Amino acid sequence: MKKMLLFSIFLLLLSSVLSACNSNDATTAATEDGKVVIDFFHRWPNEPRKSFYDEKIKEYMEANPDVHINVNSVLNDSYKEKIKVLVSSDDLPDIFSSWSYSFAENLVSSEKIMPLNDVLSEDQEWSSSIIESQYDGFKFDEETYGVPFTVDGKAFFYNKAIFEENNIAVPKTYDEFIAALDSLKQAGYEQPLVEGLTDTWAISHYLGTIFERVVDPAVLEKDYTPETGEFTDPGYIKGLEIFEQLAGYMGDVSTAMDHEAARNMFAAGEVPVLYMQFAEIKMVEEASDVEFGFFDFPEVEGGKGDPTALTGAPEGWMVSKNAPKETVDFLKFLTSAETAAEFTKTDGQLNAVKGAVTPENVNATSQEAYELVTNATSTAPWFDNAVNINIADVFMRGGQELATGQSTPQDVMKNVQQEAKSLRE
Amino acid sequence: MARKIPLIPTLFLLPSLLFLGIFIYFPLVQNVYNSFFDFSVFSPTKEFVGFASFQQLLQDEVIVAAFINNVKYAVISVLFQVFFALVLATILEDKVFRRIAPALRVIYFMPVMISISVIALLFTFVYNPQMGLLNSFLELIGLENLATPWLGNATTAIYAVIAMSQWQSIGFITMLFIVAIQKIPKELYEAADIDGAGKVRKFFNITIPQVKETMFVNVLITVTGSILVFNEPFILTGGGPGFSSTTLSVLMYEQGFGKDNMGYASAIATLIFVLSAIFALIQIRVSGTGKDD
Repeated sequence: MKKMLLFSIFLLLLSSVLSACNSNDATTAATEDGKVVIDFFHRWPNEPRKSFYDEKIKEYMEANPDVHINVNSVLNDSYKEKIKVLVSSDDLPDIFSSWSYSFAENLVSSEKIMPLNDVLSEDQEWSSSIIESQYDGFKFDEETYGVPFTVDGKAFFYNKAIFEENNIAVPKTYDEFIAALDSLKQAGYEQPLVEGLTDTWAISHYLGTIFERVVDPAVLEKDYTPETGEFTDPGYIKGLEIFEQLAGYMGDVSTAMDHEAARNMFAAGEVPVLYMQFAEIKMVEEASDVEFGFFDFPEVEGGKGDPTALTGAPEGWMVSKNAPKETVDFLKFLTSAETAAEFTKTDGQLNAVKGAVTPENVNATSQEAYELVTNATSTAPWFDNAVNINIADVFMRGGQELATGQSTPQDVMKNVQQEAKSLRE
Repeated sequence: MARKIPLIPTLFLLPSLLFLGIFIYFPLVQNVYNSFFDFSVFSPTKEFVGFASFQQLLQDEVIVAAFINNVKYAVISVLFQVFFALVLATILEDKVFRRIAPALRVIYFMPVMISISVIALLFTFVYNPQMGLLNSFLELIGLENLATPWLGNATTAIYAVIAMSQWQSIGFITMLFIVAIQKIPKELYEAADIDGAGKVRKFFNITIPQVKETMFVNVLITVTGSILVFNEPFILTGGGPGFSSTTLSVLMYEQGFGKDNMGYASAIATLIFVLSAIFALIQIRVSGTGKDD
């Protein structure tokens, strides 16, 4: 009798634990009142985008009363981690934001992402409204797995007033750029160029662009593929030397702060030059009334790379394989011309939908940036999205070590080559 | 009737056993199992690689650097938290401070109650190279040559992180010592007074031997804590610049969730477990705890 009691208590406990584990599986089904539930996950819990998407969801649910959208959001780095956990636990949201290239490729390799070729070809009117070249980062083996939405690029932003005051012209070549930094230094700006090097991605953005300039594109293509990457080209050493030299102008505070702090310094007019994304234009404008312009990363003399390649990759939306069919409709809604125009007006970030960036919803600087993005001879993805993350990490940590003087370009490349070797195997 | 007695205690133990089993021992075994595979969270399958991850572990220079950081953490924590906290506790329990001791106790204990993430964010402002409290203070007292970007300098980063930990944890350890000191029979001190022993003599000959058990527990807490330390370096520096303030746990996290080498991360986790188990065993042996006389 006692044994029975013990056993039944044990069973009771066990069943409660097990049922707790199972309760998550039921989320994709319809709700009790017959509504279709779409789980929507994005990475902007901060304003203005959170409100923007909340508003859009409300709008969509009002227009489609049989659909209920659950929304969830976490910020950047946490997003990267959370989406990985969700992928591995079979709990992938129905529609979610994703970076392009290697980040997207990783997600696709889980075989849980919906291939979109059929969806795109069925509705040409919608799919062709998005700038063709921006699809590249979501295409793997001829299949498209994502719809690009925001576009971006990186350039040196400079404080116009400070440049004029010191008679400095916008540099056209790398040597001119260094000369400009030197004269700014003489003018009393101890760190004429600033960057938050605790954000390792900021280093990867620098390195990616530098390598685009100094290394032959064919070599880059070979090295960026994990199966064939060797990283033996002397151009990489030169590239790291360039970064080391630039880090010399960032001052020793740079390794102790993040990119946001660097941006604030630029906005406060304390620092004349900052390597920044176009997506940040509006943030600087809202933080201050500094007048600024921008120039592309200058050409490096003797560099074998593309002197005008633009670094920057789109972000977009992905749909889970098991998502309800209404999700596609919601995807079209999110990437429609109206949503896109309103989005750019609210947020300032440029988007890939044709005709959605106009002088009415962006300022002159952003308009100029948009033209640069859409007319670039070639676009290179962010370095940490272009190469395998293990390689990127060696470069990013190495970049920090170069900035603090703990390491040399040769040492960093030795580690990179070792990592590349173990990835080839 | 004879069976009734073991049954009731068993029933009480069962829930905790079940939870320990599901949430501690099962994951532990699974982690060791995982470390023999190479997989990412994205890959639908795991690839068996045998001891390859452990081989990689032995050749990885970063592991050594991280381990050295953990050792620095442990040594400084033991020195500061165990010995200094004992001194602090003794002072707080001294007759001289009887009136203000309760207030001081609260002050020292306050940081323990604040979430470590909050503290770490707070300290990023303290260490901020431009407007940080620390550098401003150094300038104020005329020591501006000592001001550096504490977290951005490869040689100071790990010490800056450790210093924050000490600030946070010392109150907790002090509290444990205070409780232990209060349990020491007053007669011992009275006898020492009669024998003419001074405060220092009483500290070494009465307080230390009497709080030995607590001291052992505290050493165990700080050392195992030092091997597992994650939040502080992760939030303050992310392990940087370079790998200068990386600890084993940060490395494990980066490998697993940053670089998606789940198998290798499992191997590091196994290493961390083995290390902390070894330290705990050594300490239990050395101190011979449990044999209370």
